[in-house]
Amino acid sequence: MEVLQKLEILADAAKYDVSCSSSGSNRKNTKGGIGNAHRSGICHSWSEDGRCISLLKILFTNECIYNCAYCVNRSSNDVPRASFTPEEVAELTINFYKRNYIEGLFLSAAVVKSPDYTMELLLRTAKLLRHHHQFNGYIHMKAIPGADPKLIYQAGQLVDRMSVNIELPSSNGLKLLAPQKKKESIIKPMGFIANQIIQKVEERKLYKNAGKFVPGGQSTQLIVGATADHDLSILRLTEGLYNQFGLKRVYYSAYVPVSQDERLPTLAAPPLLREHRLYQADWLLRFYGFTSKELLQEHQPNFDTTLDPKCDWALRNMQLFPVEINKAPYEMLLRIPGIGVKSAKRIAAARRFHSLSYDNLKKMGVVLKRAKHFITCGGKYYGEVGFKENLIRQALVLQEPKGKTSGIEEGQQLSMFTH
Amino acid sequence: MIHYIYDGSFEGLLTAIYEAYYRKEKPEKIIAKADLQESFLVTYIHIATEEEKADKVYSAIREKISSRALKNVFYLFLSEDMEAATYIYNYIKLGFSIGGKIDQYHTHDIVQHVHKISHKVGKEAHRLLGLVRFQKLQGDIYYAFIEPDHNVTALLAPHFSKRMASENWIIHDGRRNIAALYNKTCWIIKEGDLQGELLLDEEELAYQEMWQSYFKSIAIKNRKNPKLQRSYMPKRYWRHLIELKNKT
Repeated sequence: MEVLQKLEILADAAKYDVSCSSSGSNRKNTKGGIGNAHRSGICHSWSEDGRCISLLKILFTNECIYNCAYCVNRSSNDVPRASFTPEEVAELTINFYKRNYIEGLFLSAAVVKSPDYTMELLLRTAKLLRHHHQFNGYIHMKAIPGADPKLIYQAGQLVDRMSVNIELPSSNGLKLLAPQKKKESIIKPMGFIANQIIQKVEERKLYKNAGKFVPGGQSTQLIVGATADHDLSILRLTEGLYNQFGLKRVYYSAYVPVSQDERLPTLAAPPLLREHRLYQADWLLRFYGFTSKELLQEHQPNFDTTLDPKCDWALRNMQLFPVEINKAPYEMLLRIPGIGVKSAKRIAAARRFHSLSYDNLKKMGVVLKRAKHFITCGGKYYGEVGFKENLIRQALVLQEPKGKTSGIEEGQQLSMFTH
Repeated sequence: MIHYIYDGSFEGLLTAIYEAYYRKEKPEKIIAKADLQESFLVTYIHIATEEEKADKVYSAIREKISSRALKNVFYLFLSEDMEAATYIYNYIKLGFSIGGKIDQYHTHDIVQHVHKISHKVGKEAHRLLGLVRFQKLQGDIYYAFIEPDHNVTALLAPHFSKRMASENWIIHDGRRNIAALYNKTCWIIKEGDLQGELLLDEEELAYQEMWQSYFKSIAIKNRKNPKLQRSYMPKRYWRHLIELKNKT
């Protein structure tokens, strides 16, 4: 089979992997070598679905021994199958890289023959790129659950980022849809990688030449909407992954129906709005100092579809508002709906020169559409509807962009899990 | 009313600022020669570029204000905005009076405007780090053609001189007729037309085809969102992208 055909099949098979990030690593070029990593990452194109293309994202092979119900590459699916050789992947990467199509390689694989056998193939590809081609661009590699930790360790020394996909947010979900995968076999390599990263950071404090281990950090991905798990349990899981395993990112992927199976829900369209809300909440955990407990509770375990999680939180905690923009601590500025990290920093810097008026904020580029209901500037309140929870809620819901709210219905689960 | 006219170079601009400090006639505006539209009511003073004076202003900005301010000044200059030079002059004046904190002064009109333009230039430069497309030519040269809104070639060259250190490459700005040339050791910016026809390396078209087909395969059809695609990657960039040039 021609490389072009393989590329078509194995890019198509990899497209449901969300991550395309090339950030977090600052690997330098070496003498006579090619490539380096850019700390904040670089996007090279955007595909028709609006997702950024930064890395050459392919599967090494889509010939899988597993038959997970949600997966397009399940062994019972009738799709064209192909496998690359390590040489082909390396050649393709180098040639795409030199033309500035990509920032590096994202190499994943279906499990062919056994986890060890698959991991060895991935490892050989990374070795070829790093040693033979002296490639110093970004490599993101999947750690195959169940593979020998020695292989994962060797790969980790070569690549910039590693990820193990959680796939489904609960062990029940795994049991139902991916009975050949166990929670333990996913968590174990994640813990292993997390420990090695910490250990390497310590070693590097002692010896300059201790080498690298996954310098761009670890990430994972889980599918939203293929099982009955609610948002709270997903968010708790996320929080645990950030706090206990020090993950760089958790990615969510709205379930796209790719195979017929009676265990799967019937969806009219992927639950994109739900995915969007989870990302918003994820940001609140990582950059805004929120905890999952604040955002969702047992009695209300799913996100409001009509409002973003921060607005929703603020409306449930009206006693904390309105906040005086000239006095509130930075941490509280971050919690004002509509105010992001950049705006909060600008406010904190600018108010040292003089007290800020509502017009000042406007001119500084602070978005006040939502914020105006929750702040005062020099004691004056600017929300037109009055400081009442229900009135503000109504005003905010009406403001939400049409495209997003009208997507709700198509995104909802139709059968199976509606109680 | 007095306007200073400089030759259009960065050194010329800095010289004009030097003169504005020491001459009695203070300028209302500083304008590049090419942008000049003469008016009867204005007195024009032509400033001759002097490297020594430019150097003095350059280091004064870095030492008395900040290196971030120096970066803003340079980015503003690269914006090629007609009013950039005047804004730079006013920004530096303000900077000399309040020092390194100038960039925290978010409510000040001049600072706001400088940040806005500087950010725009930085954004385009970063965007192009990804969107530059090299084609391999015969004789082992990687060649890219760009037409950026701002004059960012000098911001792209350092990046590729590190990344593609062992290759020969050319980044050609067709809009300004300048090119960054790199010969495996250092890069220079050259003005004027490039000579010769572009002869592609024999493998080039095969890789272009593979990239086009990769681009098609990687999109999820159920999530099609062309509006989002265009907001990240405005259409004016498409005609130089291997993967999209047939769609314009």
